[in-house]
Amino acid sequence: MTTTRRDVLALAASSIAAGMTRSAKAAAPSGQLTVGVHITLAPTWLDPAETAGIITPFMVLYALHDAVAKPMPQGNPAPSLAESWSAGEDGLSYEFVLRKDAKFHNGEPVTADDVKFSFDRYRGAAHVLLKERVVSIETPDPQRVIFKLKNPWPDFITFYTVASGAGWVVPRKYVEKVGEDGFKKAPIGAGPYKFVSFTPGIELVLEAFDQYWRKTPSVKRIVLRVIPDESTRLAALKNGEVDIAYSIRAELAEELRRTPGLTLRPTVGSAPYYLYFPEQWDPKSPWHDPRVRLATKYALDYNTINKALTLGYSHITGSIIPENFEFYDKLASPVYDPNKAKQLLADAGHAGGFDAGFYTCDVAYANLGEAAINYLGEVGIRAKLRPLERAAFFKGYADKKYKNIIQGSSGAFGNAATRLEEFVIKGGNYAYGSYPEIDELFPLQAVELDYSKRAAILAKMQRLLDERTMYVSIWQLAFISGVGPRVAESGFGLIKGYVYTAPYEEITLKSA
Amino acid sequence: MRQFVLRRLGYSLLSLLLLSLTIFFFVRVTGDPAALLVEPGASDDDIAAIHQQFGLDKPLWIQYGLFMANLFRGDFGQSFYYQTPVFNLYLDRLPNSLLLAGVAMAFSLLVGIPTGILAAVRVGRFWDSAGKIFALLGLSLPSFFVGLVLILVFSVYLGWLPSSGAGGVLHILMPAFALGWYFAASHMRLTRSSMLEVLGAEYIKLARLKGLPQSLVIAKHAFKNALIPVLTLAGINLVLMINVAVVVETVFAWPGIGRLLYEGISFRDFPVVQGVVIMGGTMIVVVNLLVDIAYAVIDPRIRVET
Repeated sequence: MTTTRRDVLALAASSIAAGMTRSAKAAAPSGQLTVGVHITLAPTWLDPAETAGIITPFMVLYALHDAVAKPMPQGNPAPSLAESWSAGEDGLSYEFVLRKDAKFHNGEPVTADDVKFSFDRYRGAAHVLLKERVVSIETPDPQRVIFKLKNPWPDFITFYTVASGAGWVVPRKYVEKVGEDGFKKAPIGAGPYKFVSFTPGIELVLEAFDQYWRKTPSVKRIVLRVIPDESTRLAALKNGEVDIAYSIRAELAEELRRTPGLTLRPTVGSAPYYLYFPEQWDPKSPWHDPRVRLATKYALDYNTINKALTLGYSHITGSIIPENFEFYDKLASPVYDPNKAKQLLADAGHAGGFDAGFYTCDVAYANLGEAAINYLGEVGIRAKLRPLERAAFFKGYADKKYKNIIQGSSGAFGNAATRLEEFVIKGGNYAYGSYPEIDELFPLQAVELDYSKRAAILAKMQRLLDERTMYVSIWQLAFISGVGPRVAESGFGLIKGYVYTAPYEEITLKSA
Repeated sequence: MRQFVLRRLGYSLLSLLLLSLTIFFFVRVTGDPAALLVEPGASDDDIAAIHQQFGLDKPLWIQYGLFMANLFRGDFGQSFYYQTPVFNLYLDRLPNSLLLAGVAMAFSLLVGIPTGILAAVRVGRFWDSAGKIFALLGLSLPSFFVGLVLILVFSVYLGWLPSSGAGGVLHILMPAFALGWYFAASHMRLTRSSMLEVLGAEYIKLARLKGLPQSLVIAKHAFKNALIPVLTLAGINLVLMINVAVVVETVFAWPGIGRLLYEGISFRDFPVVQGVVIMGGTMIVVVNLLVDIAYAVIDPRIRVET
């Protein structure tokens, strides 16, 4: 088994991280930090085995549990319970070396057996894919785990450590002793915070684990309190009842920004928003003409929409691939040029504009749709907004039921390849059609073990995607939160692309 | 009397059966809960696995049969989202809802009844008009608006009260006011109309002719009789306050049953919605049954008439 350049980098990162932690041993944890959470906490989030392919469960996982490797300030992924990993030259095996000082909250060491058990037990997002491709897991000693793959799979590390919860480790002996339900009621992990209590739908109380390998947390107690109403969350922040309030939008965000003592913390997540034209492969449709799609791109005043809805914090992007994803290729950001849009429409035979039918979107982001429709209307693309409840919207989208214009987004983890597979390539869950010249590149990158060659193929695919105007990207949405005056380090923005506060062990209070 | 009680009991059980049927089928119209439990684009196998796990793959009438069979054993099922027995969730939230409903009810009665009496006694004058405005606002202002204004004034500007959550005496004041105002208004209106009816009765005129002081006529003779329909309404309202204070509990992040119902609806958590509705319905049916029986005991004509 040989070590690749990436592995060396990972090892170096781990050494830096370990060095930092040793020197950063802090005083005993003290104080309490209360976070006003915008969504209902689910018990499934206490158990990494049930991690869905969405970002929200990680709000809890980063506190209670730890992973072999995970997105961290040092890298995405960065070594965590594993101090290093290496890939076999043939791409058929990955070996992880676990650190010796990692412990679960009950004092037991984290071992290779726990890693194997956690992988086998995992039933969350991408579990079918992972289990189909991993032939076996060997644990030659308590500190070494070797994953054997059926075929070379360059994205194994991405899926194991970033795009799923499969790499998060639970204590085998404890789970077997208390059972699945018992584990959800009193979970034990290897993270920086121990479980104290959970009142379903109300709050989760956590206490610092002073033997956490990376560093002793500074804050003694963290309370995640559910406050569903956005105005009430802001009021609670102003009143000092919570120290951090998640998801404060538009006018309320403006008010937050104006309030002395409070700090507005925007974080840009991994969810680009875009317009998609499902009829672009239908020669009878106006969307078949690339000039019409390009006109749409020039019709939107991106910066004005951004300022109005997210105070200018969202990132205007030319790509449907998140900026923080591996293999992301930066494309030129779209610009607002209504005259050019009108000219393109005229060239395409729509000088007087045309009725574009429905503009279908998730109701939670209908405000973006309203703004976009107004701008489209100004250049002659007359569309009607059709906001749908979130689950219904995604189901209809995946079932390929929509026509005209779709305003879509995805916050799923992964890399450029996983995103292209879902949204661009023939047969993808959200691909209503495809372009052969892009499709034919996909299998080439999937088996390419040379990193730079693979990156080049994926970059070419992204450029072709842009040239065809298959999508009109709008922005990478900013998630705006508020931080109260007691907080010194909130943890926002430390992990690139992660919208919540983390790592929890980095959070500090001014009075502490 | 026995036949009357049995007949009423039969109506009550029939009502609950119809309620169970209605909520069971209506909640399923809201969509597939599996769509909210998996990530967008999940495979059909993942969705099928969830359907199987929650028994949603079975025909509807079998699902209903199982639901009713479990219900008779006191089992409301397992929450899809919380993966906890619904009855436990309900019992966890019940004390908070009882507390909120109790304080809100006390407020609504303490405000609604005196203002109703005052409006009736001073009919057509300033206090009557003031009472009407109070009732109009209470009945027409949405509780989420009242709640947010209260939070803005008492939490944000004055800093006197906590904006949300439960835990101390101060936590309950705003949600109890926001919830109680609507009911205070309805109690006020009923008290006023009931008092006006009683004040026009012959025995009140007789009491006045006998020279009894106005305060004694109102307090002893009129008020006691006018109070009966108000208290009957208050009993039903109390059950509503316990079970359906959805908006107030959500705005104030009050950990009660109303919020549980809101969460159940949001996540298409069928067992939670069914459980909360059935419990609320049972409470209302039981209160009505007890009132009917009490009326029949007090007034034997009711037994014959119905």
